[in-house]
Amino acid sequence: MAKIKKKGTHGQAKNYITRTQAVRKLQISLPDFRRLCIFKGIYPREPRNKKKASKTSTPNTTFYYTKDIQYLLHEPLLAKFREQKALAKKIARSLGRGEVSDAARLEKNHAPKLTLDHVIKERYPTFIDALRDLDDALSLLFLFATLPSSDHVPHKTIALCQRLCHEFQHYLIMTNSLRKSFLSIKGIYYQATIQGQDIMWLVPYRFVQRVNGDVDYRIMATFVDFYTTLLGFVNFRLYSSIGLRYPPKFDTRSDENGAELAAFTLESRNATEGMKTIGSSKSKAIENSKTEVSKDVQAKVDKVIKSAGLDQTEDEPMADKNDEESTDAIDRFEPAAPEADTLPQPDMSGNEAGALFAPFTFYISREAPKAPLEFILRSFGCKRVGWDAVMGDGAFTHDETDPRITHQIVDRPQLPEGSLPAVPAVAEGSTPKVKPGTRIPGRTYVQPQWVWDCINEGKLLRADLYGPGTTLPPHLSPWVKASRGGYDPRASLAEQEAEGEAEIAEEEEEEEEEEEEEDADDSDEEMADESVSKKAAVAEDSEEESVDGGMDVAGTDDDESESDEEEEEEEFPGVDDEAASESEDDDEAARNQHQRELEAEAAGLPFSAGATEESTKKKSTKSKKLAAKKRQEDEELERQKMMMSRKKRKLLEKMMYSNKKTSDEAAKLRSKRRKLEKGDKAAKK
Amino acid sequence: MDARKASKKRKAITRDVEEEAGVFSGDELSAEDLDGALSDNNNELSGSEEEDSDSEIELIDDFSDEDDEEDEDELDSDEIPSDTEPETPKLSKSTLTDHEPNFRVVKDANGNDRYLYDEINPDDNSDYSEADENANTIGDIPLTFYDQYPHIGYDINGKKIMRPAKGEALDALLDSIEVPKGWTGLTDPSTGKPLELSQEELELLKKVQMNESTVDGYNPYEPLVESFSSQLEIMPLSAAPEPKRRFVPSKHEAKRVMKIVKAIREGRILPYRPPEEREEKDETLINYDLWADEVPRADHVMHIPAPKLPPPGYEESYHPPPEYLPDKKERKEWEQTDPEDREKEFLPSDFGSLRRVPGYDNFVQEKFERCLDLYLAPRVRRSKLNIDPESLLPKLPSPEELKPFPTTCATVFRGHKGRVRSLNIDPTGIWLATGGDDGTVRVWEILTGRQLWSARLSDEDAVNVVRWRPGKDAVVLAAAAGDDLFLIVPPTIAAPEIEKASLDLLDAGWGYAASNPAPSGADALKKNNPPQWIRPSSELADAGVCAVIPLRYVAKSISWHRRGDYFVTVCSGASTPASVAISIHTVSKHLTQYPFRRRLKGGGPPQTAHFHPSKPILFVANQRSIRGYDLSRQLLVKIVQPGARWISSFDIHPTSSTASGGDNIIVGSYDRRLLWHDLDLSQRPYKTLRYHRKAIRAVKFHPGGRYPLFADASDDGSVQIFHGSVTGDMLSNASIVPLKVLKGHKITGELGVLDIDWHPREAWCVSAGADGTCRLWM
Repeated sequence: MAKIKKKGTHGQAKNYITRTQAVRKLQISLPDFRRLCIFKGIYPREPRNKKKASKTSTPNTTFYYTKDIQYLLHEPLLAKFREQKALAKKIARSLGRGEVSDAARLEKNHAPKLTLDHVIKERYPTFIDALRDLDDALSLLFLFATLPSSDHVPHKTIALCQRLCHEFQHYLIMTNSLRKSFLSIKGIYYQATIQGQDIMWLVPYRFVQRVNGDVDYRIMATFVDFYTTLLGFVNFRLYSSIGLRYPPKFDTRSDENGAELAAFTLESRNATEGMKTIGSSKSKAIENSKTEVSKDVQAKVDKVIKSAGLDQTEDEPMADKNDEESTDAIDRFEPAAPEADTLPQPDMSGNEAGALFAPFTFYISREAPKAPLEFILRSFGCKRVGWDAVMGDGAFTHDETDPRITHQIVDRPQLPEGSLPAVPAVAEGSTPKVKPGTRIPGRTYVQPQWVWDCINEGKLLRADLYGPGTTLPPHLSPWVKASRGGYDPRASLAEQEAEGEAEIAEEEEEEEEEEEEEDADDSDEEMADESVSKKAAVAEDSEEESVDGGMDVAGTDDDESESDEEEEEEEFPGVDDEAASESEDDDEAARNQHQRELEAEAAGLPFSAGATEESTKKKSTKSKKLAAKKRQEDEELERQKMMMSRKKRKLLEKMMYSNKKTSDEAAKLRSKRRKLEKGDKAAKK
Repeated sequence: MDARKASKKRKAITRDVEEEAGVFSGDELSAEDLDGALSDNNNELSGSEEEDSDSEIELIDDFSDEDDEEDEDELDSDEIPSDTEPETPKLSKSTLTDHEPNFRVVKDANGNDRYLYDEINPDDNSDYSEADENANTIGDIPLTFYDQYPHIGYDINGKKIMRPAKGEALDALLDSIEVPKGWTGLTDPSTGKPLELSQEELELLKKVQMNESTVDGYNPYEPLVESFSSQLEIMPLSAAPEPKRRFVPSKHEAKRVMKIVKAIREGRILPYRPPEEREEKDETLINYDLWADEVPRADHVMHIPAPKLPPPGYEESYHPPPEYLPDKKERKEWEQTDPEDREKEFLPSDFGSLRRVPGYDNFVQEKFERCLDLYLAPRVRRSKLNIDPESLLPKLPSPEELKPFPTTCATVFRGHKGRVRSLNIDPTGIWLATGGDDGTVRVWEILTGRQLWSARLSDEDAVNVVRWRPGKDAVVLAAAAGDDLFLIVPPTIAAPEIEKASLDLLDAGWGYAASNPAPSGADALKKNNPPQWIRPSSELADAGVCAVIPLRYVAKSISWHRRGDYFVTVCSGASTPASVAISIHTVSKHLTQYPFRRRLKGGGPPQTAHFHPSKPILFVANQRSIRGYDLSRQLLVKIVQPGARWISSFDIHPTSSTASGGDNIIVGSYDRRLLWHDLDLSQRPYKTLRYHRKAIRAVKFHPGGRYPLFADASDDGSVQIFHGSVTGDMLSNASIVPLKVLKGHKITGELGVLDIDWHPREAWCVSAGADGTCRLWM
């Protein structure tokens, strides 16, 4: 007989440990445990069987992986936490004795400093790992960079966040690695691709953030501590990878003037290299420093390799380079037709991105958000961005009338001339004011969305659609991939409708309308008949119009389906009694009509319901065919389900449920769009 | 009143004392003796009297009081007054003579003498706090006026205040009384004798009373001896002179100060050092590459990276396509749901242009929740199947390929009143026999649906089962109605020669039965004795019945052997004795046998039985298992356990064991399961099909093996047709494909389709419904 195993010493009971047990084992307080978990990235687990994992009957317990906690026992941070605790006791004692200066001295000189370097190295053994986990870090730091300082959020933290974020943005600008951006109602999403890793983060709009009561800033501050260290290291690595000195020079004075990005001066790591500055308005000749730098680096690397005598390896990188270039050239997918689906191209290279806005000079009006626009324009190759002087330093030009400006970003409504206030007399020496609402010839006025749509499309779009005061085309998220059964607002309605869907919808609508009509006029039959027949004609017309683009496709589809139907019917002569009942219904309908005709004759009225009857009948047969086909499919499905095991059948039903949910949602959106389009058409008429 | 009481007490004491005195001194107390004694006593006590005068005043006071009392209580005790009266002149004399005045004589304003009495100082002992009624009321007159009287005045009540007895008299009296040494006046309770205390004991008592230390010779007031004093001694303890260093500045200190001064001069020490800013620089500035020597490391197996937030969809846009905007109903619904239950945390809205976009209220909240999720939310790895559900569906051959199979109802046989319990198609495939609740057996022409023949077998009992004899040489129908089995040759439906052959077949047995005479009456009464076949009544004989077997129990199932000589019946009623439940009948011998003596193991009474189509094996099903018995060797050869709760019917594949494949059995059960057994594979079912909503009543393979079809009939009113092909290959399993669900029978009284049978040659089937109809499906 096998040895009886003791309970709780093996399996799940041993692998998982509750939070209370963990805290006891580590001998720290719960808040310290929380900090430790945040720093070390330890999270609770869900045991496969909670009952087996827990030693008590308490249902709601948090389980940690025992080995995670075991590793924590040797964590240097734990010792620091203990030191901190001891110091806190000393300070409390000093304060209790009224020795304030003593307490201050203790706090100042003896406070243990937490360094998270080793934690970051441990959590992210390689740089790529760190990049992969940068999403949350950037989102939180960009949020903290915009928060006002308060008791919970010290000024120092905010300044640090701002610095790190701006440094990161500068890297993106230098390497043109920003790929996509999206204006949502929450904020602005950005996506950058660094070393093949897609990093997406969200930046709030610049408003004072409303804070609800149940936000614990201590937790967020712990995260910010960790993320600032992480982003600092990431920035260092990124800067050094493109041969820039880290940290970049920071001009406090210009920062105070609201220069933001422009307050930083990037410089090469080599002192002999001339200072490569970007962002300051004074240095007019801003070259594509990135390419130069990379060239320099490349040259240097080559030299080093040569000197080291690694000649044989020299050829290979050259060949690679050639290959890369050639692939770069090939990589572009051209849409086959102007109206065909344009695939979103995630593999836009840095060079393409850098060339998008390169030839233009932008001027950002006061009402447009400067910070995101500047960031996006710069990272897509625009070197000359100007803005109004009130929006801070660092502009290429503060002069709105500058003739070099090619594009002006405005976000104000078109107002009639009279309603605009007169421009005050321009003082001598200051930049001449432009009267709001006037247009300077020779430049393109666009709304900010144009910039976003351009970068998401990867090409310059028609600017006239985005002119000031015009109704903008919808702003679409660049990340949504068209899925099967899902709704795609880019495609036309006819392309994504299920066959017969439009007809059914139309029929339903018409039925409703007809019912209304019938209610309205019973007395005047002829009038009614005429109107109905007219309406039917109109409806048919509208049907044809509504599927204007894809009419032929839809028609063929219909034909096919009909022929299918017929075939099937041939194959199943009188498949089942329901089909028979249908035929019975038809018979009955015919009999009814005959009866009505007789009645009409008896009353001496001409019977003229032919046209309407015909049309409705046609449609009803169509819908009936569809219904019959659907029933056929259902039957087939049932037949197949019959042969499945119960487990598989359940899985299938689950999947069908979720698929149905998406398709229902898509159908709802389609019907909304159909209505809207119809409404538009009516308005046009 | 208080005073009076107190005085009374006192008086009682005095009397006591007097009595005692009397006791000790004897009754013979004479004035003369007294006098002398008094005088003696006086002399003795004089010294003490002079020592403290206060006490005397006291005494006087006391006595004056006592006198008053005595005045009052004269009747009570006349002793003392009588004694004292003769004395009074003497006393007064004495008071006058040794006039120790308790007053001073002062000249008043008129030059007269004025007697100023000392103020009476009531001692602590005194009970009197103020002058009371006993005070002398004579006013301010010289007491000399009363010198000649025994009284000295009047009290407030006008009573005489008697002149108090003088000390000498009393002392004399007391002295005359001899008090023994150590007298206490108390009685020792232990001995009953007067308690006497020694002098030492009295001393001790006194000390205890005074709260003093009882130790002998202890003096609490000893003089203080000062060990240290503030007084300066003339001679100091050490005579060493004061050292010089006390007066010379310290060189060492000077050195140290100079060091500091020098450091300050050199600037090494700043007078005020501003607080250092070192930590700011150190903390935040990164100055080395953390990943300089990065080594990729595989993630821990148990590590689950935090899922990234999903990218925003179209509806999150500040200017979404109009179809994404919620209509009124959706908006209302969103607003009414609890924030936690909302599918999306925001409502899509269209702001038109960027300048109109407001700040997002819940931004901080959402980021905070994300933080919470990152460190608080348990992470589970869930595998999400991102596959097309169609791919899960089994690839079934299309029904078109598996044709023919029955799809539509071609003929409806109406005629039975009540349920049609059973039906069977004859081996030639021309006639359909049915039996129903109305007790009739009917034979129909299949193609036309015309009723050819009918016979009422029983008036009250239903016909439970009808089965044709296999073989085309004769037309014999076996039917079970009530307790009896009937063997029928329906007249005039078949060709005359065949009819003749069938009649001969059935008649042949009579002779055999006659040659083996019936057992004696006692044996016949025995229950387990097999029944004798009897000739039908003339009425039934006219209808075509040739033989009747009185089974005594209701038979629910009949199954013929393939050669047509035997058939097995099963009486599945719970009350049927186990030994007679299953019976095998031999047509050629008109013989009935009970092959089983005991109840079958494995649950419940037997339900149904079938002969194996090619081997001499009889399969018998009880509620939970099917057993195969080799009839020639009389052995149990197979046990099949379908796992169903209650088997309703089963059927054996017709080509079993002929095409080198194994036996295949389908089992239908009342718990809605259709089970396919491959007997060579396992005892357990190879395939379980649960696709009826109600109990399965009958299952049937297509006979002859021409079409690989089988069907089941269920109480939910449907008949399901399956394709079940058995291959000769031992390695490949049978393939089962559902083909068609035939619906047509109406559910009557919870029952749908009760029996089903296949046409022997065509892919047609007939079903018997509880609604009184039979349907032919083709």
